[in-house]
Amino acid sequence: MSSGSKERKEQIRLGFMTAVEIGDRNFVGGLLVTDRFGRPLEFQCTTPVKPNRTQELLYGPTLVPFILGDLLGKALLDRVSVKPSLIMTSRVEMLQLRTKVTIPIIYDEASTESDSKSATGNTARSASQEIRIGRQTFRMHDEFTDDRSVIEKIGLQLSDDANMHEPLERVGDALRETMSTITARPRVA
Amino acid sequence: MLPDQDNPGSSTAPVTYDVPCPRVADFPFDTSSIDLLPTVDIYSSGANVALNRWPTIECRQVDSRLTVGTVPSWKPGWPKVHTVGLAFPEAIEFLPPEKAKDDEAPETVRSKKKKAESDSESEHAARKPTRLKPPSDALSLEDRLFYILQPPLETMLAGQELIMPFEPFPHQYEGIGWLFSQEAALLADEMGLGKTMQMITAVRLLLRGGQVRRVLLVCPKPLIPNWQREFRAWAEELPIVTVEGDTARRNLIWKMPGVPILMTNYEVMVRDMEAMPEEERPKFDLVVLDEAQRIKNRDSKTAVVTRDLKRKRSWCLTGTPIENRPEELVSLFEFMEVVNARATPDLRQLSKLADKYILRRTKDIAMKDMPPRLDRDAYLELSPAQKYAYTVAEKEGVVQLNEMGDQVTVQHVFELVLRLKQITNYDPLTNESSKLDRLVADMEEIAQSGGKAILFSQWTKVLDWLAVRLQQFNPLIYHGGVPTKKREPILAEFKDDPSKHIILMSYGTGAVGLNLQFAGYVFLFDRWWNPAVEDQAINRAHRIGQTSTVIVTRFICNDTIEERIDAVLRHKRAIFESVLGDGDVEDAARSLTAAEIFGLFDLKAKHGKGTRKIAPKIVKDASSDAA
Repeated sequence: MSSGSKERKEQIRLGFMTAVEIGDRNFVGGLLVTDRFGRPLEFQCTTPVKPNRTQELLYGPTLVPFILGDLLGKALLDRVSVKPSLIMTSRVEMLQLRTKVTIPIIYDEASTESDSKSATGNTARSASQEIRIGRQTFRMHDEFTDDRSVIEKIGLQLSDDANMHEPLERVGDALRETMSTITARPRVA
Repeated sequence: MLPDQDNPGSSTAPVTYDVPCPRVADFPFDTSSIDLLPTVDIYSSGANVALNRWPTIECRQVDSRLTVGTVPSWKPGWPKVHTVGLAFPEAIEFLPPEKAKDDEAPETVRSKKKKAESDSESEHAARKPTRLKPPSDALSLEDRLFYILQPPLETMLAGQELIMPFEPFPHQYEGIGWLFSQEAALLADEMGLGKTMQMITAVRLLLRGGQVRRVLLVCPKPLIPNWQREFRAWAEELPIVTVEGDTARRNLIWKMPGVPILMTNYEVMVRDMEAMPEEERPKFDLVVLDEAQRIKNRDSKTAVVTRDLKRKRSWCLTGTPIENRPEELVSLFEFMEVVNARATPDLRQLSKLADKYILRRTKDIAMKDMPPRLDRDAYLELSPAQKYAYTVAEKEGVVQLNEMGDQVTVQHVFELVLRLKQITNYDPLTNESSKLDRLVADMEEIAQSGGKAILFSQWTKVLDWLAVRLQQFNPLIYHGGVPTKKREPILAEFKDDPSKHIILMSYGTGAVGLNLQFAGYVFLFDRWWNPAVEDQAINRAHRIGQTSTVIVTRFICNDTIEERIDAVLRHKRAIFESVLGDGDVEDAARSLTAAEIFGLFDLKAKHGKGTRKIAPKIVKDASSDAA
């Protein structure tokens, strides 16, 4: 491998984004950026976001995709200083973020974090949306299947037996740890 | 028509008003007069005059175009989402190992590793990843997140830069993870479980993760080549510099910037640190003490200077954290800065500290698939000449001690014990030795099958004596008298030359740190004072990499001091389990105390008409390599 391509490899940054629901509709998002070996470079997490009753009524089924994608995902991506080349998420609702940014976003289908609703309320998918990275099969946003070539290029530089699901678990654990620490803290009057 | 102004109430005629239409053009319809026919009864109220006034009628323009009423508009406003960030330190970039050439794709390197691991591949796939846990004393959220967000050790080690000679065992992964997250740690795995490898890998990960940048490893002098070899095997990309040479050169090395790992022995470290002004002493992110029992005496110069080392993390390695008394742990804890200076924790507190800061696994638990160790205690009768010599020496010795009365010290008793032990090895006058006879018989069998054996003795003189008498097995000698530079070649010769069937070692030099797992037989020619040292010696052979059963033969001569020492040490094994837990039988190995040495002979002094027990005046550590 030439030194040039080696440098390119060094620049690959993977983003692992997820969100957890704490208590009653309190959503917290987290983004971990790692190198291609899964070593952490930067982590960002949001403060909790809770929709009010009006918002719940008016957004209807688009509420969670809106909160997770447009609000949390966008805020995380804006704030992170090490920009990822590819974002993997365990929440299908976060695919929505792809409409706001140019970075490819794929959803880990084996993830158990997500509920069954998709961003568009439709769980049906075609083979053209599926893509394999490491050991996992991911799903692309149905309007951005052109991302395939970029994602495949990144995937080539990763190990075939890399576990891309594991870092998402780390983010989930970190979010839960953050929330438990925050909620355990005594409120200052 | 207008009503009669004088008598308005009398009129019943309808009253009509002609309403002038001021701006007829504004109305989109025709106007016409309408007869209003109200019937008004007017009663006299006194105000009727007012009724005679003309009503004032005003016409106002009314805009008839209609607008639809609305509620206030709503826009979906959301509060700004705030984020909290955590950046990770950049790892130090090392040159890749020679094997991993730049033009090799990671897959290629991985496949090499995979090949080496092919046997354990399926096991690897099924294994639960080893995640790092935040240490219990990590209070800040940032610190805790740092550990939570680290990849599992298996992933860290799977990177192509981290080539390892073979896949670590599960207990080793666990140990590496534990060390990685500890600022104060005592890794006390039983000998042979790979403490060295765990330490090297944990240091490697810390260096690569940017957690530490400067590490000092202090070990006994004979083990430096061993550590160098292990570092080459497990982390060949890590530059290691050994502090050696004359004073000027050592000073230069101590202050050399950009050296991630410095290695030195206890004596050099003490000498150099004492000679260096405090402000010039180097600072370390991590100090590792190998064979940390060397600082068990908290008042010793070594312990004091070691505690003064400027450092952030303090790790200890030893297979025998307690050699004599549980209190020895306190000195190690003091170095680890988990107890206050001069603290005197009781057994319960020690046990609690041990739970938190000591990781200890025994082979029984960690290496279930390791070949077993077969202990054979060979009880031998002394030869007639030995028996005679022994009986005479014992009688004379005891009489002599009794005659000394209150003047007797433990040293006097100890000298007698040594003399008797030497006779059980061989009679110096006739060279008769029942142990040698048995050894030769066993060795013939071992040599015939192409096996290799290690023999340990307390005395270098005995080793030399044996070497002459075991010539048919091409013995090699390895003890404190062998120059350091010649030691490695001797070990290599023992390993590679099939004609060398036995290596004769002293406990002091050969018992620690060496990997001799290609030997399947261990002979303990005489008993050491401390079973922990015996275990260390045995574990030179019975360790990871051993493929066959290790047969350990302890020579014990019947009706001699050896039998009595054995009984006392066995009893002591049971006493000290409380600190390190039940599985820690290997560590129940304590030296004989002065009282116990006296007890071997039931010594009493005359006291008036009766007798009384004699107690030693000076207690000295008797466990020295008596050459």
